Amino acid sequence: MTRGSGRRPRGGPIVDRWALLAIPLIAFLVAFFLVPLIVVSLRSVADFPKPTGDIFSNYGRFFASAANLRVLANTFWVAALSTVVCLALGYPYAYLMNIVRPRVAGLLLIAVLLPFWSSLLVRTYAWQVILRDTGIINTFLLDWGLITEPIPLIRTTLGVMLGMSQVLLPFMVLPIYAVMRRIDPEYTKAAANLGAPPFAAFRRVFLPLSLPGVLAGSLLVFVLALGFYITPALLGSPKDTMISQFIANAVQQRLDWGIGATMAVILMGLTLVVLFVASRFIRLRDVFGSLEES
Amino acid sequence: MTSWRRLSVLVAVGALLVTACGGAASPSPTAAPPATAAPATVEPPAPPTADICTNPPKAPAGTTLTFASYGGAYQEAQRKGWLEPYAALTGVTFQESEDSSNATIKAQVEAGQVTWDIVDVGNDFGLDANAALLEPLDYSKIHQDEILDGFAGTYRVADITYGVVLAYNTDKMGGQVPEGWADFFDTTKFPGKRGMWDYSAGGIFEFALLADGVAPGDLYPLDLARATKKLDTIKEDLVFWSSGAESQDLIGKGEVTMTMIWNGRGYSAKHIDNNPVEIQWNQQIVTADYFVVPKGTPNKDLAMDFIAWATCKENNAAPSKYIPYGPTNKLATADPAKVADLSVSNADANSAYFDDAWIVDNAQLLEDAYQEWKTK
Repeated sequence: MTRGSGRRPRGGPIVDRWALLAIPLIAFLVAFFLVPLIVVSLRSVADFPKPTGDIFSNYGRFFASAANLRVLANTFWVAALSTVVCLALGYPYAYLMNIVRPRVAGLLLIAVLLPFWSSLLVRTYAWQVILRDTGIINTFLLDWGLITEPIPLIRTTLGVMLGMSQVLLPFMVLPIYAVMRRIDPEYTKAAANLGAPPFAAFRRVFLPLSLPGVLAGSLLVFVLALGFYITPALLGSPKDTMISQFIANAVQQRLDWGIGATMAVILMGLTLVVLFVASRFIRLRDVFGSLEES
Repeated sequence: MTSWRRLSVLVAVGALLVTACGGAASPSPTAAPPATAAPATVEPPAPPTADICTNPPKAPAGTTLTFASYGGAYQEAQRKGWLEPYAALTGVTFQESEDSSNATIKAQVEAGQVTWDIVDVGNDFGLDANAALLEPLDYSKIHQDEILDGFAGTYRVADITYGVVLAYNTDKMGGQVPEGWADFFDTTKFPGKRGMWDYSAGGIFEFALLADGVAPGDLYPLDLARATKKLDTIKEDLVFWSSGAESQDLIGKGEVTMTMIWNGRGYSAKHIDNNPVEIQWNQQIVTADYFVVPKGTPNKDLAMDFIAWATCKENNAAPSKYIPYGPTNKLATADPAKVADLSVSNADANSAYFDDAWIVDNAQLLEDAYQEWKTK
C-alpha cells in the first residue's frame, strides 16, 4: 500500500485509501465488542459467588436448574414463532412493494420502518395500553356490549407476537424485497405465455426465485428475536419468559455476573450453532448483503 | 471494497439490534431492615454533639458530589429535602444520577472509576456480602444511636423508611374491604387480577406465607415450598410488574384489583392520579432505603458529612414533606400532613420486616425457587 498505486500484489484485494476510513470503525468494534465478548467469556469460567475450584461450576449451576433449561428452550420457541409470524406478514408485504409503482413502494417502505422512529419501550407500553383488560380494545368491546369479560390479549403469546413482529418485520421485509426486485418480471410472463395460470406461475417460478430472501430474512429475524426480553416481559405471560431476562436479573439484581456471563455465552454459542447449520443451506453474506440492496 | 461495505451493513444491523432490544426496567425503592425495627417515636438516647446537623462543615470551593438515587418523585423529594438545603449550607454542588443500580456500583468499583459518591440503594444491598464494593461508614459523624434499631450497619445506614403494602382499587371491591394478604389470595371473595413485583426477594414469598397464616415473626427462614404452593392458588390471576410506575398504573386503572405496592406509589395513585385506590396497612412489610458510599470514591469524607447531616434528627424527615416516606432517625419529626401515610406510623404487631441478611445469603435459592415456580 505504501508503494503507491499499481503495485499491489497480484490477485490481492483492491485496497484503496478510502478503506482507511473503516479503521475507526474496526477499532471501535474491537474495543467495544470483541474485548467485552472476551471478558464476558472469561467471567463465565472465572467469576463465582463461592470459589469451587471447578472452572465449569457456573455451567454446572446453569444446567442444574430446570427453570433455566425451560426458559432457554422457550427462547428458541418464541424466536421461531416470531419468525413464522414475520414471514407470514412480511412476504405478502414485500410482494406488494415489488408490484406497485416505485413511489408507493417507497411509502410502504417508510411504513414498515416507522416503528424504528420511536423507542422500543415506548412502543411496548403503547401495546400495553391497547391490549390490556382495561385497554382500548377491551374497553371498546365491553362498552358496546360485544363481550362481557375482557378478552385475554395481553399476557399471552399473542401479545408477545404483536409486539415482537412489529419490531422485527423490517428485517424480514427488506431482504425479501431486495431479492424480489432482482427477479426478472419476464420470467413470470414467460411462464404465463407457456400456459401457466397466475398461481402456478407464482408458485413454480417466482416463489423459488425469492427463496434466498425468505431464508435470509428468516435467519435475521430468528437471531434477533433470540435476544429479546423487554417485550415478552411486558406483553407476555411468565411462560413467555426469555433467557435475556434471566441474564438481566443476574447482572442487575443479584450481581451474580458469573452466571450472567455463562448464560450469555450459552445463548451466543447456540446462536452460532444456528448460524452454522444455516450456513449449510444459505449463503450468509446474502443475509447481510441483501440489506444494502434495499 | 465489498467486504468493507458488508462490515458497515453489519454495524447498521447491530445498531438496529440495539434499538430493538434496548431499555431495561429498573427497580425503584426496595429496601429492608433486619428483623427488628421500632416505630418512629422512641425516647431519646444520650444526645450527641449536634454540630454537624445544624452547621455542617463547608466544602472546599468547587466541590461536586454525585448523588445517585431512583429518580422520579422520590429523588425530587430527596433533592428538595436534602440536596438543595445542604448545598446552600456547605457550598457543595450536587450532580445527580437517577438510575441507582447495584450493578453500576460494582462496575465502577471493579473498574476503579468511581464517580458516584452517595448512593441510595434497596434493602438487599449494603450488607457484609458487598463489603468489597463499599466504604465502611464513619460513625464518628453519624448518630448511630438515633437510627432505628437494626437500620444502621457497617456499610449502610437507612435514609428513609417505607412499607411494602397491599393496595386495592375501591371500585372493584364490591363494597368490601380486604383485611390482609389472606383476602389478596381469595379470588372468590374478591374477584380480579392481582399485581406482584417481579422479583424473588421483593416480598412475594413473604406475603404468600403471611396469607397462609405464618406469623410475621416466624417468616424466616422462608418456607419456599409452602410459599410456592400458596402462590399456585392464584398463579393464573397474577400480573407481574417491574417498576413502581407500572404498579401505580395497574392498580389506578383497575387492571388489577389488588397489588403489592410501595406505599409511596399507592399514595401517588390516590392523591396524584386521583384514582380510587386505598392502602391496607395490615400485614405490611416495613423496610428502608439505604445510603452507601462506593469504595474508592475520592470524596469519601464529604460523602460521610452529607450522610451524617441527612440522617440527623433535624434533617432526616425533610423529604416527607414531598413524599410519604418516613424518617429513620428516631428523634426526627415527619411532616404532620404525611404522618398518617407513613409506613412507620402504621407499624403494629402484624407488621413484618425483611431479614436482609438471610435474603442476601440465600439469593440464589430464592431466585431458583421463584423462577422454577413462575416459568412452569
